[in-house]
Parts: sequence; C-alpha cells; structure tokens
Amino acid sequence: MNGWMGKIVKLDLGTGARETVEVGDALRRRYLGGRGLGVRLYCDLFPRPVDPFADENALIFMTGPLTGTLMTSGRYQIVSRSPLTGTICDSSSGGAFGAAFKAAGLDGLIVTGRAPAPVYLAVRDGAIEIRDAAGLWGLDTQRTQKAIQADLGAKASVASIGPAGENRVLFAAVMNDKDRAAGRGGMGAIMGAKNLKAIAAAGSAPVAIADPAGYKDLSSRLDRMVDKNPVTGKSLQVLGTSVLVNIINAHGMFPTENFRRGVFNDAEGTSGEKIAESILQRQSACYKCPIGCGRTTKTKDRSGEGPEYETVWAFGAHLGVSDLTAITEANYACNELGLDTITMGSTIGCGMELCEVGAWDGGLRWGDAGKLRDLVTETAYKRGIGADLALGSKRLAAKHGRPELAMQVKGLEIPAYDPRGAQGMALSFATSNRGGCHMRAYLIAPEILGHPVFLDRFTTAGKAELVALFQDVSAVVDSSVLCRFLQFAVGISTFAEMLRTVTGLDFGDEELMTTGRRIYTLERLFNNRAGFGRGDDSLPPRFSTEEFQTGSSRHRRVRLDGMLDEYYSVRGWDGEGRPLPRTLAELGL
Amino acid sequence: MAETIQVKFYGLLRRRAGRASVEIAAEGLTVLDLLRRAEEAAGGRFLDELLDPGQGLLAGTIILVNGDNVRLKEGLATRVGAGDRVDLFSPAGGG
Repeated sequence: MNGWMGKIVKLDLGTGARETVEVGDALRRRYLGGRGLGVRLYCDLFPRPVDPFADENALIFMTGPLTGTLMTSGRYQIVSRSPLTGTICDSSSGGAFGAAFKAAGLDGLIVTGRAPAPVYLAVRDGAIEIRDAAGLWGLDTQRTQKAIQADLGAKASVASIGPAGENRVLFAAVMNDKDRAAGRGGMGAIMGAKNLKAIAAAGSAPVAIADPAGYKDLSSRLDRMVDKNPVTGKSLQVLGTSVLVNIINAHGMFPTENFRRGVFNDAEGTSGEKIAESILQRQSACYKCPIGCGRTTKTKDRSGEGPEYETVWAFGAHLGVSDLTAITEANYACNELGLDTITMGSTIGCGMELCEVGAWDGGLRWGDAGKLRDLVTETAYKRGIGADLALGSKRLAAKHGRPELAMQVKGLEIPAYDPRGAQGMALSFATSNRGGCHMRAYLIAPEILGHPVFLDRFTTAGKAELVALFQDVSAVVDSSVLCRFLQFAVGISTFAEMLRTVTGLDFGDEELMTTGRRIYTLERLFNNRAGFGRGDDSLPPRFSTEEFQTGSSRHRRVRLDGMLDEYYSVRGWDGEGRPLPRTLAELGL
Repeated sequence: MAETIQVKFYGLLRRRAGRASVEIAAEGLTVLDLLRRAEEAAGGRFLDELLDPGQGLLAGTIILVNGDNVRLKEGLATRVGAGDRVDLFSPAGGG
C-alpha cells in the first residue's frame, strides 16, 4: 500500500486488549486520514454521543496518507468529542510526532477505556506497549517528555499532557515535541480522564511512494512555490504569525478588552515586528517545513516557544495587557502545564469583564500583567479562582449570571478577529463544527489579506458559498495531513497532485472537494445528534447589537441571518441546519 | 501634524524603508505619488515590495487610507491630503 501504512489499532486501556481495525480501501479513499478518517471512525463507534470523560469514550490519534512524506507533513490530529463544547472535535498539532507515529508503523490509534493507574504508551515498530507512568504523573509537559526520552531514547517523539490534563481542565492541550500544541477543545483532559499521560512514538518504517520520480520532481516544485510566495517564503519566516497584530489592529478589528473595542493602542509593542527585535532568539520549524513560522524566544528569566499571533492577542489586547514579557511567560506556562492559550486568555478576559460589571468578585482587572502566570498556574491546578477559570468562558459567564459576556461559539472561544470587521469570518465562526475557531474557514485571507483574491470585508453577498468552499478545502488538508499555511502558496490542484503522487490513486480536484464536503457534513450530523442546531450557529449578542465608535470597523454589526440561510442552502441542509436526505445520498452518508 | 500626511510602514516594509513612519507635507496627491515621495523621504527603497514592474499594486499588499483599503477606492489613484494617515503592509499571513 502506498501512502497509508494500512494499520489502525484499537486499544482498551482498561483491559490492555487490542485489535486491528479493518478500514478498507474505499473508506480510506473517501475520508483520507487525519481529521476525516478519524471523525468517520469516531462516528461509527458512537452513533449516539457519549460523555467525553466516560471510560468508553474514544480518543483517536490519526495521521494521513501524506504524513511523513512531502513538506509540512509532520502533523497529526486527535479526534474525539470535546469536553469543552460537546461537539465533535479534531485538534491538530505540528512538530514531528505525526511523522514519528507513522514511522512506528501505524496510521492511527483508537484509545478507549481507562487505565487503572497512570500509564504512557510506547509505540515502536508496529508494537504498542503500555508502560507505567506513576513517576510521571504530576510532571509538566517538558519534564514528562524528557523523562520518556531518557527511557526510550532521544529519537522518540512524545505527545503528553501536563497537570491541566491530569486535572481535567476542560481546555487542556496535548503538547508534543517540546512546545507544539494540539490546543483546542480539551483533548488533553480526555487523556487525563483515561490516566494516559503520554504517547511516545519511534520507528523506521518507510512510507511507500507510488511514483518516486514524480515525488522528487514535485518536492522541488513545492520548494520553489513556497520560496517564491511572499507569505511562506518571507513574511512568516521573518516575522512569524504575529505580523498580523498591526494588520488586524489597523483594520479596527483587533479584539480589545473582551471584544469591547477593535483598536488596541499598545498593539505595536506586542507586534511581530517588536518580537523580532526584542525577545526572538531564532525561528523554529516543524518536520520537513521550509517555512518555519515558530518563534524560539527568551525573556530575562525564561526561554521557550512563542508567542504566536493568537496567544499575543489572548494574553495581550484581549486583557488590556501590553507587557510582552508577561504575555510570553504566560504562553510558556500554558506550554508547560498543557493549556490552550486562546481559551485560557479569552476566559481571563471574560472574567475581567465579569468583575468590572460587578457580577463576580474574582479580583481580576484589565491590564493586570503581573498576575497572568499565576492565573495560568491556578487554572491548571483548579486552585483559588483558577477553579472558576478552568470552566472556560461559557460556563464561567453562565455561573455568574452574565452568559452574554462569554465571547464563544458552541462553547469554544473566538480567536483574534472581531467578526464585526469581516462578515465572512463571522459566518465562518458561527458555522464552525468545533465552535469559535478560525481554522475551519480562514476568511481573513480574502477579506483582509487579499488571498487568493481581495474581497470587501463588510459585504455579505457570496460569502456563504465561500465559507463552505474554504471549510471543504480545509477538511481535505486536515485529513491529508498537512499544515494549513501551505495554502498561502498552493491550492486544491496541488494537494490533489500530492495525494496522487504518494498514493498512486487518481485523486482529482472535484473528488477532493466532495471529500471535504462529506467530512464537514459528517461532523455536522454528529453535532445534530449531540443536540446542536441553528440556534447554536450564532455569535454572542455583542456582535449584532454593539458598535465600535472608533477605528475602521466602527459603526458595523454582524449581519448573520441572511448569510446563514444562504449557507444552509449551499450546503444542502434544511432551515434548522440539518443535512437533507438528498445531500446525504449525494455524499454517500 | 494636520498639515502633513502620515505614512506608516509595517512588516518587512519597515525593514526596507529603514524606519517606521514618515511625514509628507502635501496639499493633495495620489497614493502612487505619495508612495514615491515616501520612498524618497524614508531613504530605504521599498516600492518593489508593493508595486509590480507595471506600477500596479502587487497581490497581497495592503494600503489603508484612514483604515480603508484603497482597493475599494480608486486604488493607487486614490487621492490623499493633509491630515490623512496611510498604512502600508507588504504581503503577510498567519492564523
């Protein structure tokens, strides 16, 4: 078999029993791998949604047919039902873990059950060993990874949780290869619930390539395309993702103090430009990545990875904080303790507003940079007000009687783009299958960055079709599995060529777009069964009732209803957001 | 500085220009003329980051006049005058 390793194992941590899951050629072709195949396998296991923390729940680690092959292919996906949102969730991470996992001989691993005591898994050369992790429980992610590498050798790539995951914080991350995060949706909390501290992978199994000559030629062409593109070949390398700070701020849509303003006066001091001339030590790159958007940084007292754009915002403008050192060290703390920086920062901001309006006596106030690291630590251990912050913004705001102050969709916090500044992005947030996420359909590309074409950000016409299209392409890339930043340089035809070259199957553009649509619709079906419908495809009321008074997004509101109707129509869903029978038939669902 | 046009450089453009901003004294002119004046004033050459050889706006570049993208106005022919603020960005991405 070319591309795939042809082996997916299901392991019950409670009994130690393992079985090979027969997937078959047809299913691989229709769902690829990564997110798509992971969601398919999850939905087959659980036609009815289960409690994410139930022993029977599954946590699925997946690679894809392109993992470990062409550029940016070190990534992997974790699929389950999110404890934070209750939706289907896939959480993606870079580094080299995906490639190492596949080199160990597996396409995927389905983990069910709960170990009677803390364990970690060593996946090596096709074998899975359950190892005692009693001595690792309580360690942060960095120490855990080092300790496991001391046991298994430095070549082992390790994905682990920190104390936040052990304590089932609802937005606990899985961290791998030091500081790469599968951040969103709380997959780390599910590992904690299963007494699973880490998975380590090592091996030397090669991925069989269908067309070696074509592969070599394609590799060279990809190198040239990425190098020639000003975003992947230059901007991301030199300035990282935080180059967006000044751009989004200049568009008056840089969410400030829990989305109450769109311009942060101190943005410049937390920008990618500022990071490059102050704390940056060097750029860092994932497996086979010529871009290298990562930032290895150093403050006076500490060093580590980050911050990237979303984190700069979450601990910066969102909280009224302009102290780059405090932002960076809060990021380091999240990496060490295993927390999603976006939800962490956003929840603190929600808490600050709750305190300001007198709904909560949590003692939080805007701009309090000195407290950030402690707040992150208290959250990971659910101590003091950290016990409340560990709920995430939706539950926190509801607990204190002001649910409208949580800036979330379906329970997942909205990242660093105020939807009043880009109508397409607003629809993308509202219809995202995993909640307030910018990665399902990054409409910022056309609406702000002019890629691949420039669109007026304040209009709604045609945006529904575009959001659906972007969602479908993203699902294909997440299932292949590749880095989404590659999309700045190449389009669906190139992704199809990559898949053809590696697998030998005649994937075409049209088939892949249908595949993306099938995956998105399958995720939607799961969410429907979990109780999500039209009412959940919405944004907090702030975005449709309050206007900014300054900045270039002033006097704007989100106009969602019309776009939503159009979106459902484009998708072939009914007025409540349920896929129609004919749509399911077309997609073979 | 109401008599001048404030031009701000961001991203890689700032490195090329060698500074973060310049003030251009002018009654009124097009964005294209402003860019040329700004390059002279900045000292560092940066126009090739924004314009193609035919003097068109390169894909992915962003020019904002008081926060509004010139692509939704008259492009490089958009007129600017004293008191305006012009933000210049070379192609960028992230997420």
